[in-house]
Amino acid sequence: MSKKESNSAFSIQHSSFWSSVWAIVWKDLQIEKHTRQIVSVMIMFSLVTVIMFNFALEANLAAARQVATGLLWATILLAGTLGLNRSLAIERENQTMEAILMAPIERSAIYLGKVISTTVFTLILEAILVFIFIIFFNKPYWRPQVILILFLGTIGYIAAGVLVTSMTIQTRTREVLLPVLLLPLSLPLVLPAATAVSAYMFPQLPAIAEIQTPLSLVLVYDLLMLVVGFLTYHYVVES
Amino acid sequence: MIEIKGLIKNYGLNSVLRGVDLHVGAGDFVTLVGSNGAGKTTLLRIVATLQRSTAGEVKVGGWSLPKHAAKVREHIGLVSHHALLYGDLTAAENLTFFARLYRLENPQDRVAAALKTVGLLARQRDPVSTFSRGMVQRLTIARATLHEPDVLLLDEPYTGLDQDAAQLLDDLLRREWENGRTILMITHDLTHGLNLCDRVAILNRGKIVAEVDSAHTTPAEFLELYTEHTRRRKKAARMRVASGE
Repeated sequence: MSKKESNSAFSIQHSSFWSSVWAIVWKDLQIEKHTRQIVSVMIMFSLVTVIMFNFALEANLAAARQVATGLLWATILLAGTLGLNRSLAIERENQTMEAILMAPIERSAIYLGKVISTTVFTLILEAILVFIFIIFFNKPYWRPQVILILFLGTIGYIAAGVLVTSMTIQTRTREVLLPVLLLPLSLPLVLPAATAVSAYMFPQLPAIAEIQTPLSLVLVYDLLMLVVGFLTYHYVVES
Repeated sequence: MIEIKGLIKNYGLNSVLRGVDLHVGAGDFVTLVGSNGAGKTTLLRIVATLQRSTAGEVKVGGWSLPKHAAKVREHIGLVSHHALLYGDLTAAENLTFFARLYRLENPQDRVAAALKTVGLLARQRDPVSTFSRGMVQRLTIARATLHEPDVLLLDEPYTGLDQDAAQLLDDLLRREWENGRTILMITHDLTHGLNLCDRVAILNRGKIVAEVDSAHTTPAEFLELYTEHTRRRKKAARMRVASGE
């Protein structure tokens, strides 16, 4: 083997970690481009949820507007579990995860690749959801600060979600187990994120001090989940 | 190339491999046969770095597992009865993805060459889900050999293949062997196992019970040997159960 290794025909480039991450992202985007399974399912589910709530709260428009931010996050979380499940289920079909695990790449690159691709799918959903919420609830969800909080919240949620889904996907009760484990784990993220978004729902912009604490909590959660996922993913996929 | 000494694998109280010793030299083609539950797949998965052993020593190309698993992965390719391919991607996209994972130079050229070798260049833009079982298995070989591994591991590659597809697979495997690859194959198909390789090992109840040189063994002799070993072990096991051991 040593002879062959020195031979130029054996041309594995020991290049960056990021090329592996990009390979995973590229593959997920290609599959989604062909099938549109993940985004379309998340959008359909979200639309149904929003319409149902809208009908339920139609009698009390003021109440609907008050709970709109909570409803937005709840829809993202629930639709997100569908996206996460599908994104990891792709690797179970034909056992492609084994082929990925046999490649000489860092397990954390698989994790990061999955986080990035699933975040992209969820952000597409959120762009549509924001548009719908502006129409249905007449609230300023278009504000850049709101978009930024949604973006940061999504990163944390998907970072935790990919880790949990990678564990639950190997079980028979994965569809049930994922929300049961992930939704409570997301509470420390969603509560400050919803608080921060709510602060921007008034005509007057909030003072920085008012959103500093919730925003810091969201950032800490993001960082914590990414670091935990990064460091522990090989235990999850190899055990 | 592959050195296995005293390999043990337990799942809880269930012992699947009970001290396997096997040597596969560089350029050898060894087939491992055995009945269901003999531990063939577990053995192959350990060599493929997909599972860890309970005890014993496994070395591939001089690198011991699981310590140097990352290094070993660069030099092995796996063909399984599962496709390990994405049905929703085209043949070219599948191979491009794996070429990127293995960080190969000129991935497009390598993909085109691999598709040509397995006779799928004309179908490169078709989704794998539209392929027949035989075509999928040819593409699987292209995927497993894309990075020119020194060692090719085959896990029941003939499962679900018709006569023509099996013949095509035979030709592809012979070509890979002639190219100098070391091949370790597990199969239920005794005829294919004996005809293709230069050595056959019989694994029974977690142990290698016999090894034969295929050039000097006829199919009838091998079948007799296989039956004798598997039957003897089964009989011994039945006697152990009956005597309460």
